[in-house]
Amino acid sequence: MLLHINPSSGVPIYLQIENQVKHYIASGAMTPGEALPSVRQVAADLRINPNTVARAYQNLERDGVLQTVPGGRTYVAENPTGLLKSEKIRRLRPYARQIAVEGTQLRLDPQEIIDLVWQELNALEEAHERHSDLDRKAR
Amino acid sequence: MNDIAIWTEKLVKVYSQVKAVDELSLHVPRGSVYGFLGRNGAGKTSTIKILLGLARPTAGQATVLGFRVGHDQVAILERTAYVSENKALYGNLTAKELVRFTRGFYPNWSDDAATRYARSFEIPMDRPFVKLSQGTRTKVYLLLALAQGADLLVLDEPTTGLDPVAVDEFLRILGQDVVGEGRTVLISSHQLSDVEQVADHIGLIDHGRLLLEARLDDIKSQFRLVTAAGNALAQSRSTEVVSVTSDGNFCKYVVRQNAEAFAAELRQQGATVTDVSPLGLREIFLEMVRKEEVCTSGNAAGIPAAVSSSF
Repeated sequence: MLLHINPSSGVPIYLQIENQVKHYIASGAMTPGEALPSVRQVAADLRINPNTVARAYQNLERDGVLQTVPGGRTYVAENPTGLLKSEKIRRLRPYARQIAVEGTQLRLDPQEIIDLVWQELNALEEAHERHSDLDRKAR
Repeated sequence: MNDIAIWTEKLVKVYSQVKAVDELSLHVPRGSVYGFLGRNGAGKTSTIKILLGLARPTAGQATVLGFRVGHDQVAILERTAYVSENKALYGNLTAKELVRFTRGFYPNWSDDAATRYARSFEIPMDRPFVKLSQGTRTKVYLLLALAQGADLLVLDEPTTGLDPVAVDEFLRILGQDVVGEGRTVLISSHQLSDVEQVADHIGLIDHGRLLLEARLDDIKSQFRLVTAAGNALAQSRSTEVVSVTSDGNFCKYVVRQNAEAFAAELRQQGATVTDVSPLGLREIFLEMVRKEEVCTSGNAAGIPAAVSSSF
């Protein structure tokens, strides 16, 4: 898992880590059951505070994205979709609202806004297929 | 008070009629990496000297690791490691000799730790201290602090004079070996980018006074730059406006929290909000220090004055 952070951006470092881990999983670059590097390892690699890495891991665990087993290792959760549908929608709604507000302010048509989301979904799906192809070839 | 490593209340230090520290109340949580920020002469080193018993406060009180400053100083020094700005140690002694010399002062000293860190930090233990690079000197300090079993590390401008590679190595060691196990690290610095990378708490001082103390993540999630076209809004009901600048058409506001509510307020007033964006620590630092100057230069009305002066 290769993470990249920009400490001087206005986005808190723990959020940058969370978003990248989620992206890795959504695009299939990381698969359920796969182990993540230790908090201390990530902190040393990125030259950041281990407390910050721990916070990101804890949040991801709370969201059901990661699982920590007794003994300390952290894995990509086997069943990250265990949440209720209503809960998933509740979590996604702020992002949908932001897209709607920003898009409208930029005077984009509703269809253009929706197309944009479709394009991002397709890009993720393609990345996912590429990774499964690579996996198959590796076996 | 067990969760607070350093606590000060209305600490004051006056040097020949100059207030170097002015009613400073700090709260450094145990286990945190606390970035103690301020420009040169802001009062950082004066504060540190009081905490270590190197200077007597003019007024106020403080505790370090639960021990009262000025009363239980030995208990504080046994548990605290201090890396001074100029990193001076006995220059003719080698790192090995410095270890032998230092170990006697500390009841919790660990020879195992000293040997282990000497190896992992790749310190040439047989060379005189003066012949070591600034980066290696810093590592010698960190080795002594870790072997001492310090619960609190006070690092005064630790990255000043280090080249970028040495800074990178220093930050790596900090994350890998120093932070954790409940150890508290206070880093006094004006190298904002280094602090931004490792700190989880920030205390920002200027003219000896505390301007801002909070979790760094909270600061970053709350401070926003709001850009709007339309009439300037000098005061806000929903948030604290840190600064306003205007070129006549556009206004830029820095707000401390509730940016969304503030943007809604602007829209209600007929302004068009064009952007709400986060700020880096450097920009927040500059805004807070500037705000302080506007307010202390005699403009009691602070915010409207900043608007009119920039037209």
